[in-house]
Amino acid sequence: MTFVVSGYGDSHVGAVRDTNEDALIVDPKWGLYAVLDGMGGASAGDIASTKARDVIHEYVRARRATLGPRQLLEAAINAASAAVHGEAQRRRDRRGMGTTVVACLIDGRRATLAHVGDSRAYLLRDGRMHRLTNDHTIVAELVARGAISADEADRHAYKNVLSRNLGAKATAVVDVNELELVPGDRLMLCSDGLYGYASNEALHQLMGSTDPGADVVRDLIEAALRGGGGDNVTTIVVDAGTQAVPRATVVLKTSGAGAWWARRDRLLAAARAYGIHRSPLCAVLAPDDAIALVAGNFADAVYHDLEKGTSVNVWTFVENLAVGWLGQGGAWTALRELLDGLARAADAVVRELRAEDAALGGLIEGALARALVTAESAAGGVLAGRLRAVEVELVRQDAERSRQQAEVTSKFIDHPTVPFMRAVAPPPEAPAPDVQALLDGARRRALGRPAAASDRALFTRAVEHSHRVATATSDAEAALAARELFDVRSLDEAGVTPLYDALDAARAAHIDAVRAVPGAIAGKVAALRRIAAAYQRLSSTITSLVVESVAPSAEALREAAAATAALRAQVTKNEKKVAELERKFATIIDDDLPAGMRFDLGLDPPPPPPPRRAEPPAIPPRRRLPKETLR
Amino acid sequence: MTDLGERVAVLRDEVLDVVAGGSEDAPAEAIFDAIVRTLSAGLDTALGLDLTLHDAVARRLAWGDTEQLILDDADAVFARLAKAAQRALRDPDEEMLVLEAAADVVCSTARILGLAAVGRASRDRAAALREELAQRRLREALDQQSNNLQRLKEEVAQNDFE
Repeated sequence: MTFVVSGYGDSHVGAVRDTNEDALIVDPKWGLYAVLDGMGGASAGDIASTKARDVIHEYVRARRATLGPRQLLEAAINAASAAVHGEAQRRRDRRGMGTTVVACLIDGRRATLAHVGDSRAYLLRDGRMHRLTNDHTIVAELVARGAISADEADRHAYKNVLSRNLGAKATAVVDVNELELVPGDRLMLCSDGLYGYASNEALHQLMGSTDPGADVVRDLIEAALRGGGGDNVTTIVVDAGTQAVPRATVVLKTSGAGAWWARRDRLLAAARAYGIHRSPLCAVLAPDDAIALVAGNFADAVYHDLEKGTSVNVWTFVENLAVGWLGQGGAWTALRELLDGLARAADAVVRELRAEDAALGGLIEGALARALVTAESAAGGVLAGRLRAVEVELVRQDAERSRQQAEVTSKFIDHPTVPFMRAVAPPPEAPAPDVQALLDGARRRALGRPAAASDRALFTRAVEHSHRVATATSDAEAALAARELFDVRSLDEAGVTPLYDALDAARAAHIDAVRAVPGAIAGKVAALRRIAAAYQRLSSTITSLVVESVAPSAEALREAAAATAALRAQVTKNEKKVAELERKFATIIDDDLPAGMRFDLGLDPPPPPPPRRAEPPAIPPRRRLPKETLR
Repeated sequence: MTDLGERVAVLRDEVLDVVAGGSEDAPAEAIFDAIVRTLSAGLDTALGLDLTLHDAVARRLAWGDTEQLILDDADAVFARLAKAAQRALRDPDEEMLVLEAAADVVCSTARILGLAAVGRASRDRAAALREELAQRRLREALDQQSNNLQRLKEEVAQNDFE
């Protein structure tokens, strides 16, 4: 198999602009593909992009044999930059023109990508789309340096201002990447008129379709136009693949659908032979009408599905049949038999097809099997919907009956979700004798173990208290044991941590001791349940004590904050009083001051200005020239 | 995940009482997840070093849940899991492992909450001290203002009279 690359490209002026400043190169012979997006007022943008396109194309054709792809593309783009720059210098009305470029040169399986500006290249591989280029915009560079976030970049006023382009200088800094193509890859080059107006999801979906590249290009441009089409749209799609035999779906779409259609009459005859017209579903129809309506529509639905590679026609046909039949109270078995009859008739047709062309017959048989599974699913869906409706009705009737019954028997219903009416947990029972013996043995073993906790006394007390809680018959025991363990300690990390450390060490030792103590496994499990619950209750109660003990700190802080706020309010109030008195004092003492000094102190309005000469006649304002667009 | 971890994870809805709570995002799910993680790790983790549990508890505290509420959730998870494990697990050794892991996680939660409470108390005490200092300065300012007011009143009265 040979590695084949095919490319398609197109450009559209867009929905808003009058001129198309984009240009493209699609040259499969030289493996050169490029998109250029010109800029510059007074219609210089299209000149820049066209000029750069011609230079790049010519340069690659002339030096393809002498330079490697990387150097070739870089040199070609630099030559284009020099040409555009030179042109802009020669003509005043073309000053500032420039263009972006994204170019791809394919040599065998190797693709070399070069770009300047914000035209982009994407790669679709294994269903995932990857962006291969970084925009050369000021905002993108700010994001790359971490100066602004991606979100801020989207809203940035200058998000389209380029940091690099072709034509601003005689040379351009070109980003060049290389990648190895694999069969199935799809490359896309585009101008910002595409990705700026079509969503990423739309681009991904369209790129991922199995349609030919030319159709994908058309659909991509259509998506950008539907998104507003505010700029020129240009895109190129390059498919990399191997020259292989057509896929099964292609064969089915072309030969398969035709072969099936050619045997439509044979299917109708087979359907008659299997008695489709005698089905209860066709009771009101004449035999010929029944065959034409049921088998004919089935044949048409299969044909359209084969032709389009879908299942929607068969699904719709069977769903309509099932809704109509079951909706009027028809029996499921009749529908089932009708579908079986259609399947048998189709099978007869396929057998004949296989005899003529085994490969094609096999493909159609597979497609028919899928269509029949679809038919089963459609009928099953309708049936499930009806069952759900029946269930809802039954539940409604049951609820109604319960409500009526409750009204009759009592007005007060013991509702289990009201908290105070919930069943109270029974108090813990005393452990069975064998479990008690195991608990005693575990306690002795745990106390005999070397503890990891630094405070041995605390460890011993933790084991003893846990044993007490585990064997207790009252819930209050845990609270008492926790109080005793908590003892008197400072309410900070240094005071509380040793207690938790001792509890952790005691728990580990106690649980190991339960496992090690000789006894029946069932008894050990029962003992462990009690031990684990005891430690859980102790830890929990001790933490509750800690929380309770630190509560006054929060209360004290709240009171202190309130007192500070009151004082601050008083200070503010006094400040106002002082200011008021100071103003009054100043007014009194300054009443006798001379006028100039009163003005200097801000007590009098300013003196009137001296009379000015007559104003010259007004000059009409200059009309502002329209601002040149940034791009 | 070990087999035991997977089997305990199946008990999630029952242990978190999702039906009664009416939400899959049950408040105690972090505690249950920590138990499953402990079982998956084969109880080999250092006690109280589950950073995800720390993070989850801290997040709940930050959202305004009280320590007591989180403790109650942990207790409920332990009680329900103990019952569910007794019913669902046939191997006594496995039930013992689950009880051990549950006790480990619930006690770790209690420790995290206890330390968070004393940490908060330390911060509160420091803040209260700052408030007292601020009050002292404000009182000084008030005294000064009172003197100024008195002086100004006298001066105004004197000038007004003249």
